[in-house]
Amino acid sequence: MVLVSAARDYINRMLQDISGMKVLILDSYTISIVSVVYSQSELLQKEVFLVELVESISMSRESMSHLKAVCFLRPISENIQHLRRQLASPRFGEYHLFFSNILKDTQIHILADSDEQEIVQQLQEFYADFVAVDPYHFTLNIQSNHTYMLPAVVDPSNWQHLCDRVVDGIAAVFLALKRRPIIRYQSKSDIAKRVAHETAKLMYQQESGLFDFRRTEVSPLLLVIDRRDDPVTPLLNQWTYQAMVHELIGIQDNKVDLRNMGKFSKDQQEVVLSSEQDSFFKSNMYENFGDIGMNIKHLVDEFQQISKSNQNIQTIEDMAKFVDNYPEYRQMHGNVSKHVTLVTEMSKIVEERKLMLVSQTEQELACNGGEVTAFEAVKNLLDNENLSEIDRLRLVMLYALRYEKEKPVNLMNLCNKLASQSAKYKPGLVQFLLKQAGVDKRSGDLFGNRDLLNIARNMARGLKGVENVYTQHQPFLFQTMENIVKGRLKDTEYPYVGNHFQQGRPQDVVIFIVGGTTYEESRSVALQNASNSGTRFILGGSVVLNSKRFLKDLEEAQRITRSSPSVI
Amino acid sequence: MLLLAPKIQVLPDIEFPKFLAINLCHACRQTNVGNEDAFTVGLPPAWVDYSDEIAANIQQARIKMSELVKAHARSLMPSFGDGNEEQHTIEALTREITELLRRSEKRLQKFPANGSSEDSNVRKNVQRSLATDLQNLSMDLRRKQSTYLKSLRQQNEGNDGADLEMNLNGSRSQLEDDEFGDLGFNEQQLSRLRNSEQFTVEREREIKQVVQSFNELAQIMKDLSVLVIDQGTIVDRIDYNIQNVATAVEEGFKQLQKAEKTQKEGGMVRCATILVIMCFVMLVLLVLKEILL
Repeated sequence: MVLVSAARDYINRMLQDISGMKVLILDSYTISIVSVVYSQSELLQKEVFLVELVESISMSRESMSHLKAVCFLRPISENIQHLRRQLASPRFGEYHLFFSNILKDTQIHILADSDEQEIVQQLQEFYADFVAVDPYHFTLNIQSNHTYMLPAVVDPSNWQHLCDRVVDGIAAVFLALKRRPIIRYQSKSDIAKRVAHETAKLMYQQESGLFDFRRTEVSPLLLVIDRRDDPVTPLLNQWTYQAMVHELIGIQDNKVDLRNMGKFSKDQQEVVLSSEQDSFFKSNMYENFGDIGMNIKHLVDEFQQISKSNQNIQTIEDMAKFVDNYPEYRQMHGNVSKHVTLVTEMSKIVEERKLMLVSQTEQELACNGGEVTAFEAVKNLLDNENLSEIDRLRLVMLYALRYEKEKPVNLMNLCNKLASQSAKYKPGLVQFLLKQAGVDKRSGDLFGNRDLLNIARNMARGLKGVENVYTQHQPFLFQTMENIVKGRLKDTEYPYVGNHFQQGRPQDVVIFIVGGTTYEESRSVALQNASNSGTRFILGGSVVLNSKRFLKDLEEAQRITRSSPSVI
Repeated sequence: MLLLAPKIQVLPDIEFPKFLAINLCHACRQTNVGNEDAFTVGLPPAWVDYSDEIAANIQQARIKMSELVKAHARSLMPSFGDGNEEQHTIEALTREITELLRRSEKRLQKFPANGSSEDSNVRKNVQRSLATDLQNLSMDLRRKQSTYLKSLRQQNEGNDGADLEMNLNGSRSQLEDDEFGDLGFNEQQLSRLRNSEQFTVEREREIKQVVQSFNELAQIMKDLSVLVIDQGTIVDRIDYNIQNVATAVEEGFKQLQKAEKTQKEGGMVRCATILVIMCFVMLVLLVLKEILL
């Protein structure tokens, strides 16, 4: 709740004191930020009757000075330029400027100079610089995410740009929560180290006045880690509702776009999956596919009963009751169609791509099983013609990540087989992945096979058997969270920045994964928070990954590395 | 020199030409005075008056609804009098409220459809917001009416039941008392019967009127439900609405360009001009022929 309510709170404060008809001016980042927490009907209630993008307000010459402009923008130079042009020839009566992060002094000067007609009534900073997709999960929607895989020397300006955006996002989260954290980072990752140090510099030196909040007994913890420490989770196929929809179809800012999937009726082409607005989704987003099917069936039965009783209108009382309940009936109808459509589409895709078969092997590769059986299984699946290219690639990558040291010959065989079968496969991609995220580069014990305790635990789990073979994988983040709760996070793997230190267990933890989070991990965080262990976790990332996006980033990084001369 | 343009009150019938407003703005700027009064010369478009009118209607309807609730409560209390006054007030109030709502709804449907694209967006959004308010008001009114109706019916049955009971008891006692007596009703019972009949007739009339206003409101609600946004759907998303506006404007622009092109290259226009010229030439030749011959 905390991220969503912080963002909503800021937006309410922007709109409440301004009376009369308003126009809301956003840029392409803040529109995502606002759309996930605020709805159009709520804007209408606050008398905001027009929403525009800052890049297009200067294109029209029409003057609407009966409207007051409320601008909510990120403090980047393009927006400042747009505002300058607008203030020089204003279209609206008054301008109230709000920025989502800390403004530089130079930017304030530029704005003040261009406000010749003194139409700017106020200028404030409201730190909602993150997209709060779920109550404990935020993302930054960074386009050039793949830059995190490259060393800084390859493309220094983009690398710096990525770091800056991440630091700004994290700073905004803590300003919104009104806390200043102790910072730890993953030792083996350069970018995590850079982000951690720059955040510390911002919070403790450059803007220490701004971050000087009331000190509590136990400071919150910020943990910056790298996606490459757990490359397995984004490669796996998912079977819990929200994660599955993102993996098979794709969720962007809580919206699902079904237009490429076939013919749908106009109101089912794009749908909204938000746990705040849809109570069925809220109670089913972390359930697995089988249970969802049953619950949807219950929902459809309920709905059919209601519509049958609606057809039986005999007396005036019945009519009155029908008209009374009509809005709810309509909403229920829309909701039921939405979920039925989604589940039908996903079942179709599972059938086409034979995902039950593929996923079984994937889970075995990720969790347990011996090398020999794994190799046989992967080889057989590669021979199966019905599998799509992306599934084959994922299987080989998972095998590589697990058994790269044990049987390199087998791995070579599989890679050659893969290259011979699909024309689109970019050669060397698997090796590139191993260079980025192989056993030497990872700090944690991803497969639980490094120390005796973990091996014993795995064996015990294998003997006990699992409830559901498709959801047996636990993301590595789960272990990290457990270690934090028990105070067992190793200093060597996750050192503190500077001379920070933390006594005891933190009560609030923000984990930021540079390179992106997955919905499987956000599910893990939500379940951990629900278990009331005394620590509250918030998860954030530069994007929300699914296997397609992860592979795209990998390919893009490989392409740049190949074409750049300065890489060893 | 200070050029102070006063805040002009927009009257619905006067059309202040837009270019004049813009010129005034320019004039103000040239005097180099940052006077904020000078810049409220930009007048809102005409439909803003309609929206203000509807908002005022809604406010009035709300006030009358609270009066109606009080009148309902008063009429349900047991009283010695006939209660006719209360009935009249209730009827009058209900009629007025329904009338206000219906007028507002008609006004809402009649919003002008012209204007620039941005203005039409603002207008559409204002329409939506007013439609939501009107729908909520109608639902509220219907709910209040249905509770009143229910309590009326309960009272009605209660009264009839009591009367019948009395009658039954009366006739029984009569039979017991009078062996040879009249087996019909005596004076007392007749008058009681007449009273209760009158009472029933009155109540029935009231119920019929309430039901009638019910139906009217139901119609209004159905019309309004088309304008109101469904919450939680894609239409309620800000980014979806901005996308749609952008694509609609682009589409419209492309269509306009296409239309302009086809019209310009219209071979039709050329043909028609040539034919007209030839007609004139023929006419002149004909006249010349007549003159010369």
